[in-house]
Amino acid sequence: MIFGIYLLLSVVIASAVFAAPGRRSIHLAGTLFYLVQAAFAAWLFAGGGYGTSAGPLFAFDAAGSLFFVLLAAVSCWVFYHSEAYLRGCDLRQTRTYFALVMLLTAAIAGAYFASNLAVTWIFLEATTLCSGGIIYHRRTAQTLEAAWKYVFVCSTGIAMAYLGILLLAAATRCESLSYDAVAAVAAHGNPLYLKTAFLLILCGYSCKMELFPLYTVGVDANFAAPAPAAALISTGLVNAGFVAVLRVYRLMAATEVFGWVKSVLLLVGVLSLVIGALFLRRTNNYKRFLSYSTVENMGIAAIGLGIGGAGVWAAVFHAVCHTLVKSSLFLQMGVVRQVYDGYRINRLGDYIRINRVGAVGLLLGMVVAMAFPPSPLFVSELMILKETIASGRWWLVAVMLLLLCIVIYTFCLRLIRLCYQPNQDELHPSGADKALSWSALSLLLLAMVLGIWQPELLRDVIDQIAAL
Amino acid sequence: MMLPLVILYVVSLVYLSITERFRNFASIMLLQGLLLFVIALLRLHALAPLELAFIALETLIFKAIVVPAILFVIIRRTRINRVTTSGTSQFHALLLSLAALAASASVTYYVADPTVDPVFLGVALYALLSGLVLIVLRQRLFSHMVGFLVIENGVFLFSTAIGVEMPLLINIAILLDILMSVLMLGVFFTKIDGKIHADDADSLTNVKD
Repeated sequence: MIFGIYLLLSVVIASAVFAAPGRRSIHLAGTLFYLVQAAFAAWLFAGGGYGTSAGPLFAFDAAGSLFFVLLAAVSCWVFYHSEAYLRGCDLRQTRTYFALVMLLTAAIAGAYFASNLAVTWIFLEATTLCSGGIIYHRRTAQTLEAAWKYVFVCSTGIAMAYLGILLLAAATRCESLSYDAVAAVAAHGNPLYLKTAFLLILCGYSCKMELFPLYTVGVDANFAAPAPAAALISTGLVNAGFVAVLRVYRLMAATEVFGWVKSVLLLVGVLSLVIGALFLRRTNNYKRFLSYSTVENMGIAAIGLGIGGAGVWAAVFHAVCHTLVKSSLFLQMGVVRQVYDGYRINRLGDYIRINRVGAVGLLLGMVVAMAFPPSPLFVSELMILKETIASGRWWLVAVMLLLLCIVIYTFCLRLIRLCYQPNQDELHPSGADKALSWSALSLLLLAMVLGIWQPELLRDVIDQIAAL
Repeated sequence: MMLPLVILYVVSLVYLSITERFRNFASIMLLQGLLLFVIALLRLHALAPLELAFIALETLIFKAIVVPAILFVIIRRTRINRVTTSGTSQFHALLLSLAALAASASVTYYVADPTVDPVFLGVALYALLSGLVLIVLRQRLFSHMVGFLVIENGVFLFSTAIGVEMPLLINIAILLDILMSVLMLGVFFTKIDGKIHADDADSLTNVKD
């Protein structure tokens, strides 16, 4: 009931934005929308909602609740940054953009809380529609191409995932598609069906999680979408894919094919890490650069799931912290665009003199993304490496360390260049908005706090998520 | 009654791999829509009349009427008639399609399990592979669109064989899928041809590293 009201309010407010008469109305609608998000988050953790369910289709479990709080925070930041980002846009485009951001937020929340395989799938499909519109925001040939590719590949991938879901239901002879019902009978499922179903689901959801094999559309989407929206796509939406895969992973934990599932995740994780590390060096666009970093980080999370044991805890913690770090970096990139009106790596420079706060935010983000202490990613990556060593997979340790060295080198090279190399592009007359840089930096500082101190509540919640 | 319909469905997939005229593509989509409508009626007759009517009507209206109609409109407006820049010959496409059919049949035979109707599983797998083959082998966006629709139809066919929570969830899912198909067709129809003047996937290469 409560979740139904939440969804209804979110959709009604977003629909009202489509018809907003001016920017002030959009701002008011946005304030109302985020009040609804905050009220729902407060109900979850302070009003007794956590751990309950809303009918047969939704449940407010640990994974959904944790990622929802992150989503609400990041989406609110995205809204604030988008207002500045879209200052010069015409009203029609602005209205559509903000309405779609709100709808995307609601759809992602639906995917987080879904307690049924088909419902997760439906909300993930809905995110494709909303993201497609956001990607096409600038109405250029390039954004149209990116939107077309995104919608086409995601739809094809999601259709494959749906086939996997149906196969999973068939394999387990389950009359319902709820996670609990399937989990209860999964152990008796036909192993070959289970394997095929997992492959199809992982392949389909990889377009949302920005993981090998369908990671490319996510990179294109982040490139074409406005930088603040890319922050939401690269974190909230990626987490929706992560939660969906995690839930299927937990279903498989009770089956005899679990070892095989973990091996597949290891392989996919390593391949994503390879692709992320190599393409970080190749790209000449800062937004694509950050997107490949997302592919790399999701690869690490998949490796954590593939290792199992403490690796699952580390994978969840990695996804949580990555949300804060990556959204901060994408929002900083929005400010970079204000200054240079572009993202070309080989031409931009001197950022430290133009916007000292923004440059410090980017350099600090670089250190955190490279997983140097006090980065929270250091904690998760160290846990994954320790678990890998404990499992005796030395080859994997060697490959991961080598690839992480490439990532560190590339990150340093690219972001130091932006701050210190002589600028070769004309500066945009609007200049940098330092308040935006500070606001993006605050997300990063929060991530660093988590690197030093993880609150008891957070540890408990992640413990529950990681318990198989 | 069911088996001849499924065989006709498989034949339509084989024919899809060798035909080069887009008008034939659209006609096959129409035929598949009608076949799915009849199969859904036969398979799901045990459902409550209202639910059965909803599923049957949405299949008939969207899959057999709206989507093929949009395809025909696109062909008429864009005047793209055939796969002129096919990436491979008809013979090779047919070989690949038959290989996909053999692979699907082998997988189905190998996993033979009483929980799933092997005929529907095999045909769904074949539809998935056929759609992917069409997307990979053909260069024109129209063919990619048809490849996607073939996959969607295959998934729908399989869902009728499973029947879990069919009345509510699978219905919504299928409706959303169909909405997505129509939206994609609309984007293709109104935007890409107008803005990029491209009907070839080779033209869509601006977004890259």
